[in-house]
Amino acid sequence: MNLFLKETERGSRTWLRRSTALLLTDTVAAVGFAGGLAGAVSALADRPAAALPWLLLALVSAGLRGTAAMAAARCGARASEAARRQLRQRTVAGALAGGLDGGATGGGLMHTAVDGVDAFDAYLARFVPARRAATVAPLLVMAAVAWASPVCALILLGTLLPFGVLMAFAGVASADESDRQFRALNRLSGLFADRMRALPVVLAFGAQAREADRLQGAAQDVATRTLRVLRLAFLSSAVLEFFAALGVALVAVYAGFQLLGLLPFPVPEHLDLARAFFALALAPEFYAPMRRLAAAYHDRQAALTAAGRVAPLAAAAADRPVSPVAPRAHAAAGGAPSLRFDNVTIRYPGQAAPTVRGLSFTVGSGCTVAILGPTGSGKTSLLRLLLGVAPLVAGQVLVGNRVLDEGESIAPLAAWVGQHPLIVPGTLHDNLVLAWPEASKTMVSDAVTEAGLGPLLARRGMDLQSPVDARGSGLSGGERRRLALARAVLKPAPVWLLDEPTAHLDEASEAGLIASIARARRGRTTLIATHSEKLAAIADVVVRLELPA
Amino acid sequence: MKTPAPGLAALLDAEQRRHRRTFRRAIACAAAAAMPGVALLGLSGWFLAAAAAAGLGGLAAAQAFNYLLPSATVRLLAILRTGGRYGERLLGHGAALRSMAALRSGVFRAVCGAPVAQALARGTGEATTVLMQDVAAIEDRLVRRTAPWAAGSALAGGLALTALAGRAPVVSTVACALLVVAASGRLGRRRRASALLLRDAQGALKDRLGLLAASAAELRCYGLESWARGRVDADSAALLAAQRRLAFDGSRLELLLAVGTGTAAVAAVALAMGQGAPLAALAGLSAAMALEGLSPLLRSRQLAETCAEAAQRLDGLLLAGGEPESGLQVGPHASIEWPLVSASRIPPGARVAIVGPSGCGKTTLVETLVGLRPAVPGRLRLGSVDVARLSAVALRRHFAWLPQDAALIAGTVRDNLLLAHDAATEAGLWDALHDAALDDRMRAAPHGLDTWIGEDGARLSGGERRRLALARAYLSPAPWLLLDEPTEGLDAVTENVVVQRLVARLDRTGQGLLAVSHRAAVVQACGEVLQAGAEPVQSTREYRARAESACR
Repeated sequence: MNLFLKETERGSRTWLRRSTALLLTDTVAAVGFAGGLAGAVSALADRPAAALPWLLLALVSAGLRGTAAMAAARCGARASEAARRQLRQRTVAGALAGGLDGGATGGGLMHTAVDGVDAFDAYLARFVPARRAATVAPLLVMAAVAWASPVCALILLGTLLPFGVLMAFAGVASADESDRQFRALNRLSGLFADRMRALPVVLAFGAQAREADRLQGAAQDVATRTLRVLRLAFLSSAVLEFFAALGVALVAVYAGFQLLGLLPFPVPEHLDLARAFFALALAPEFYAPMRRLAAAYHDRQAALTAAGRVAPLAAAAADRPVSPVAPRAHAAAGGAPSLRFDNVTIRYPGQAAPTVRGLSFTVGSGCTVAILGPTGSGKTSLLRLLLGVAPLVAGQVLVGNRVLDEGESIAPLAAWVGQHPLIVPGTLHDNLVLAWPEASKTMVSDAVTEAGLGPLLARRGMDLQSPVDARGSGLSGGERRRLALARAVLKPAPVWLLDEPTAHLDEASEAGLIASIARARRGRTTLIATHSEKLAAIADVVVRLELPA
Repeated sequence: MKTPAPGLAALLDAEQRRHRRTFRRAIACAAAAAMPGVALLGLSGWFLAAAAAAGLGGLAAAQAFNYLLPSATVRLLAILRTGGRYGERLLGHGAALRSMAALRSGVFRAVCGAPVAQALARGTGEATTVLMQDVAAIEDRLVRRTAPWAAGSALAGGLALTALAGRAPVVSTVACALLVVAASGRLGRRRRASALLLRDAQGALKDRLGLLAASAAELRCYGLESWARGRVDADSAALLAAQRRLAFDGSRLELLLAVGTGTAAVAAVALAMGQGAPLAALAGLSAAMALEGLSPLLRSRQLAETCAEAAQRLDGLLLAGGEPESGLQVGPHASIEWPLVSASRIPPGARVAIVGPSGCGKTTLVETLVGLRPAVPGRLRLGSVDVARLSAVALRRHFAWLPQDAALIAGTVRDNLLLAHDAATEAGLWDALHDAALDDRMRAAPHGLDTWIGEDGARLSGGERRRLALARAYLSPAPWLLLDEPTEGLDAVTENVVVQRLVARLDRTGQGLLAVSHRAAVVQACGEVLQAGAEPVQSTREYRARAESACR
């Protein structure tokens, strides 16, 4: 997953570099600010008027600091934007290209492609620039302090050593504990989400009070355990705080005694008020980049957690490029091709049992086969196999005489009618020609008639120019299926794949749609996945699937 | 106000009162950490400048200078600051985490008590995500509850120190602080508007993705995949632009804080000039640290602006109040009747299979009976009372339900079984598992009833999930069993065992049975068949009244 984060960073190298550079500019401006204040205070000692230019320097530096910090945040946001846009493109492509299989639902995809990708935001925008700046910025500060007072620089360096050692100990422990706490919180919100999901059952058994108590108990338990864990996590930031404060205190005490000339040992440097004050004002800046990084630590964890979900989907597109079978080859063979499933076994990655095991059947050229079986028996997987999105682990599929290779798709030859027809905002005509953009007006109106959509529309005073919105409001379930059927008619596709085209329709609509399908499928090789015995009745052959044992 | 339900503010207040002590200690720690932070740098500056002045005055002056006190104070402050921060974090997070526990269960209770259509609309996917995010946003706010006190303490400490250098630097520091706070308030309002845009863009992207994902196969067949990716990308770009706008709004705070801090320091030094270098140094550094102490507060206020909407939604949910209780009750031996269809009455204890093509309303009927769907008045009666007049709670007492999707809760086998009847005995649990033909499998499992089954029974096979959900329904003492596809996905042998044991169990308990199924074994076991159709349910056969003898 670490590798995946690195890869994601690469998507916006330039913006990340700029953001880091601006954070370093902020540090340089901090040096200017400290210099201005130091100059002003030391000038006050002799001649108040001489302090003014120094104060001006401090003011300008403060403005520069603010501008640099703002610009750094903006560049970080840009970096995050660019990288996340790419990542989302890959995630969505992966999902559409078949990452959807294995049962991921639209809800899961949305969660991954929207929220999962956005979980990288803070990591890219804040953590990465902060991490890069944290390696250089303290050195810049130290160099500036050393120029004013090498001993003060040595003091800062001195606090860095025990700090580093302690952090290495506490850091390992606390990163570990902090990870655990992060997971515990995730688990708790998982429990909450689970009870929300199972709400119908909880309500139906009247168990709401009990479950609410349990939720509270579990949350209290996590709170108690998390606190134990947090002790360590906070200890490491306390170490950071302590050394930051100690650094300031030691610089102040050393410089004070040196200015008083009361140091009990000789120090080979001359210190005046300006230099001492400069070192003091800059001391907190030495630790600031590390504190910024510590504050962003959880951003990285959030990104790592999300990477677990996003990476497989983003990789899915790259792993399985789908090449379409050339339509010409089949057109030359003449007519609709036959489809032969030969000892086919489909198993999704991560699943123990195959969804379909050793299945053989043939759909003759221009014939119709219906696959009947309970949910989960692999009906849809067989259709998806033809589109190159189901993993074939054994056996083969022949389209006509040609073996369908792994990752090959018969999409160019096929038309699809499913449970959730695609509806885009626009007119009905726009929706229809999606299937075949070069279709003429007559072809469209013929397809509408053949799918039985025409009379339905006429009855409601709609025509092909009537607008529909993305949800297809105003179209009944039956009308949507007929829209999909009209699309299938419109495309000169020799193969039809119908995935539960009549599910959730009332009896009258189902009967009407079945009649239309029976009429329109003529001359096409048709494979239907369905629960409906009535729809299966129009098939030449019915294949019945059982659930895998 | 008539509603007794506590809103979000009241709930959080109550939590705050409950954890009053912890909260106070956290505030004390926050204040104790913030003030030394300011004082450390301010005093150090003064110490340096004073030491320099004394050093220049010659050895005698240097000897007379009391350096022990300031140098010791400086070190003490370093320790105080560290300890204070540690305590603040630990105590603050502790109180926040405990409050969250109460908030989560409070929200859950409110959702459960809401009218059923509303509750279930919330129970699904997207709505759950919103709810989860809302609660998480509030969590963040709870953790930051100490921020105002820390900021107040830093400001007070800073002002007290600048006051040593006279009135003018105090005035300038206060002015700077006020300006920064006012400007950040304006930024916050801007951010709020941006957050609304962001939410809309997020909704649009999710809608688009959901619709396109559902038609993935169609997209591929018609060569529309790249077109679809383009559509999603356009929505994604709009969302990212909205997020950028929000981030840019946030970045203005960085500018504001840096300029405010710098201006306060410079103004304090300039105005304290007359007091000499040590006091000017003290004033300058203290003013800078006082302003810097405001930054955690302002940052958390910015976040609060963006989660104001979340708070509002939760508040609405918590205040929505429960479903009205009609108080109407029906006795345990109630028949189920369809007044619109003559002779449609199922007497108590009867066993009936409901058949019909998919989509004809079988599951709708079942869900209406368990009060998960609002009933249409006049269609359905329970013990001669219209179901629409019964409260969901009163209705649910009559039915033990096996849902079609056999939904399970994440947890152990025992957790799932006790959901139906938390007073069930160990023997009762095993009995129910036996009748669902799952006892052998569970006895073989290393942890028995405490076997962890994962989210929605992910570690069980489809058949095992269904049988566990069946055993759960058996445990409920309700007079009617409502089984939606009880043997779907079971092999023939298991199905026969399950049906035999179901019949034996019904003979023993006298419960009635409504089973939605098209499987021959189940239909035979029922004896009676209801054909579900367009009008809720039509009877196709006369019913024998077998109930009286079977029902005790």
